[in-house]
Amino acid sequence: MPSTAAAAAAANQPDELIRRLRSGDGAVKLKALRELKNQIIGNRTKKLSYIKLGTVPDVVGVLASSVSIDPDPGSGSSLIVESAAIIGSFACGVDAGVKAVLEAGAFPHLFRILSNPNEKVVDTTARSLRMIFQSRLAPKYDFSKNENADCLFSLLNSDNENVTGLGASIITHSCKTIADQKILSSAGVLQRLITLLNGSLYQREASLEALTAMLSSNSAVISNFVDLDNGRALSSLINLMEDKSPRTRLLAITCLIVIGRTCSSYLQDIELKNKLILILVELLEEPDRVGDEVPFALANLIVDREDLQRLAFEANALDKLCNFLQRETLQPKRFEGLLLAIAELCSRLESCRSKFFSLKVLNLVINSLKHDAADVRTVACICLRNVTRSVKKLSAGYFMNEMVVDPLIQLLHDSSNSVQVAALSVISNIVVDFANRKSIFLRCGGIKELVRLSQSMDPTLRLNAVLALKNFVFLADNSSKECVLAELTVSTLVSLICDPEPKVQEQALAFVRNILESGIDSIEPVFTEDGIIINAVGRQVRNALDLNVCLEGIYALGNVATGNELHKEAVMHQILEPQVNGPSQSVLMNFLQGNNSQLRVGAIWCLINLTYPDGPGTSSRIARLRDAGVIGQLKKLADDPCLDAKFRVKTALAQCANNNSCAK
Amino acid sequence: MSLFWIVLGQPGGLEEMATSKKLITREEWEKKLSDVKIRKEDMNKLVMDFLVMEGYVEAAEKFRVESGTEPDIDLATITDRMAAKKAVQCGNVEDAIEKVNDFNPEILDTNPQLFFHLQQQRLIELIRDGKVEEALEFAQEELAPRGEENQSFLEELERTVALLAFEDVSNCPVGDLLDMSQRLKTASEVDAAILASQSHEKDPKLPSLLKMLIWAQSQLDEKAAYPRINNLSTATLEDPRDL
Repeated sequence: MPSTAAAAAAANQPDELIRRLRSGDGAVKLKALRELKNQIIGNRTKKLSYIKLGTVPDVVGVLASSVSIDPDPGSGSSLIVESAAIIGSFACGVDAGVKAVLEAGAFPHLFRILSNPNEKVVDTTARSLRMIFQSRLAPKYDFSKNENADCLFSLLNSDNENVTGLGASIITHSCKTIADQKILSSAGVLQRLITLLNGSLYQREASLEALTAMLSSNSAVISNFVDLDNGRALSSLINLMEDKSPRTRLLAITCLIVIGRTCSSYLQDIELKNKLILILVELLEEPDRVGDEVPFALANLIVDREDLQRLAFEANALDKLCNFLQRETLQPKRFEGLLLAIAELCSRLESCRSKFFSLKVLNLVINSLKHDAADVRTVACICLRNVTRSVKKLSAGYFMNEMVVDPLIQLLHDSSNSVQVAALSVISNIVVDFANRKSIFLRCGGIKELVRLSQSMDPTLRLNAVLALKNFVFLADNSSKECVLAELTVSTLVSLICDPEPKVQEQALAFVRNILESGIDSIEPVFTEDGIIINAVGRQVRNALDLNVCLEGIYALGNVATGNELHKEAVMHQILEPQVNGPSQSVLMNFLQGNNSQLRVGAIWCLINLTYPDGPGTSSRIARLRDAGVIGQLKKLADDPCLDAKFRVKTALAQCANNNSCAK
Repeated sequence: MSLFWIVLGQPGGLEEMATSKKLITREEWEKKLSDVKIRKEDMNKLVMDFLVMEGYVEAAEKFRVESGTEPDIDLATITDRMAAKKAVQCGNVEDAIEKVNDFNPEILDTNPQLFFHLQQQRLIELIRDGKVEEALEFAQEELAPRGEENQSFLEELERTVALLAFEDVSNCPVGDLLDMSQRLKTASEVDAAILASQSHEKDPKLPSLLKMLIWAQSQLDEKAAYPRINNLSTATLEDPRDL
């Protein structure tokens, strides 16, 4: 019967369906709604095409008119159920759908319908609202308004589990600030959520998510929670770690991680820590969403916690993670999570790093630097950054080869800023290279790219690029240093020393300090172009408010002071100038009289180099320093509480005294 | 877990008999068994769980009235679940999708794998009915976009479309897709998803208890001769053979 098939196909056409949606006949409308619902549920493509056709406002229109008129309770409620279900489906997993639903004004209607006596109507509406609240685009629910708070409590206290679930979802979505957490906690919401932990699976999971939102980074609310029911709240959470449902296990663990990261005392028990890790490692096997989220939870648990990293390592977490990484057809989210968890495991412990190298996944991580998803490229860099912290491998020059260096240099052109920054952080590690294979990096064009990014408008990029350059010239041979300086140019270096960001200044000065570290030949290049570099360094030492900038500067000057007479005189000139914002004496005196022992030590080192015997100008320098009150100040430091300072002062004073006796 | 210990009969002191098996007579065994108290309500709950999960609505209703055991889900929803399951078993996939969506529109929206398998089953049914053109159009319109979203769906789709390439599908490498077992597989996925949406487990408890019984008996066989249950349907204790 080709004719009926064709007719049916025509009736399924979108514009025909939309026409019937607008029909005045309730039965026609209902049928069209049902067709629309069955077409879009589960089908992203269809959702997008109907959203484009402007169908959402039509559906919201049907909902609104069915609520306000409701001529016949029977068919009226079917229209509400169908239209509410469609609105929920449009909002499920499609940002454009959430936007369209909100713009069409569905929100207030849906909230109003929650008080409808028909259970099916309430079920569907609560589900649809929850779909909307699961999107980041949903408006923030303002708990500080009294009517909103009342509404939330009535939702949480409902007998209908979809409605209580909606209440919990609203908290999960909107409880973001300490103020929100405080309002909800003092209104007794914690207590209610804990009761819901004993409800159905669905209520339990919704409540766990809401609890996590309420406890996150808020030690006051956490201690409220822990004190509830004589600590029974916490123990029921711990029990849920062993629930039958994998998702419940993960959510309970996520909540415990949030508690432990804020108040570590609740996560001290070694058995509990072990259990957390074992269950997480076991959950890695789960398919779908749970399995996707597990590595992120694991990473979150162990970040900056060496004790937990060690436990995870002992639980074979690294083997498992690397094993999963090698599976085929991993979704990008899962891949990203695995890389991140591996990265955190290798962030501190050398034992983890050696294990990582023995598991032969390095190539896989390097290949994922070319992954389509920017998030994956970023975490691949973070993972490499952490494994390249291995001094053992670094000193063997293990990473300094084209296979590693080339893809990293390419990432310096990446369209994503965070990828570029992450790539720079790996490069910063591998260019340290104690095996003197730095020329490979030069040959691959890496320095050129670092210099380019050191002039970026983005301060983070500038900072990380200069940091990488600084590490490159660390213990480099003079010809490599000259290449870098030539590429960077003197004027760029000066502007980096005077960068608006103190952190960039600090790294630029540290770069100069590293350049100057290999004897007199390395000092000469800093004196080109009328010494504008040393002038810039001196200016920062005198002007900067940031301690680290002053420190790097004074040490750079100290290195210059190891040079010839001309160099030493230049340093004398810089440090005997007064500080701009300080008392009207020299910056050197300020440092020597100051409270900061690091600055005192830096200044004393400078003096040791300036008064080093055997120089023709040494006596005259000592005389000038004495006239400036410096030697007198040094004597006062003979009993410096900082042992390093005390020891260096001894050396400096001995040199001065020695010179005196020789002169006489 | 308590039932597991019942079956083992709390075998205290059996360890020292490691070399020669201990003989437990029927009297001793029955005495041990009668020492274990099982609450009637727990037994009833197990029965109710079985009836609900397997979809025996009328039996469950009668049992509820007679034993006073409250089921943990609304009995009316069993009918809906069974109807959706049955529709897939009969090859009416479109009908099944509508039923699932009426029951709870969230299920197929949040379960892409189930949604794909239902659409795949629809394609299989079209191919089975020889509607080649319609099948191709359906694969292109409805299934191809899902394949783009997920690599493993794409592979399954390719396997399914391959059915069209064979004259004699009953004898081709992907012929298993046309088997009844494929429908049953999809149907049980529907069943499990609906149960999950009701916060329910997907398998009844009774069969897993029986599995535990078999395991526990085989463990005990190593150590003792005792009145065994060999026929699970009658559950009669059979006297141990003499050692």
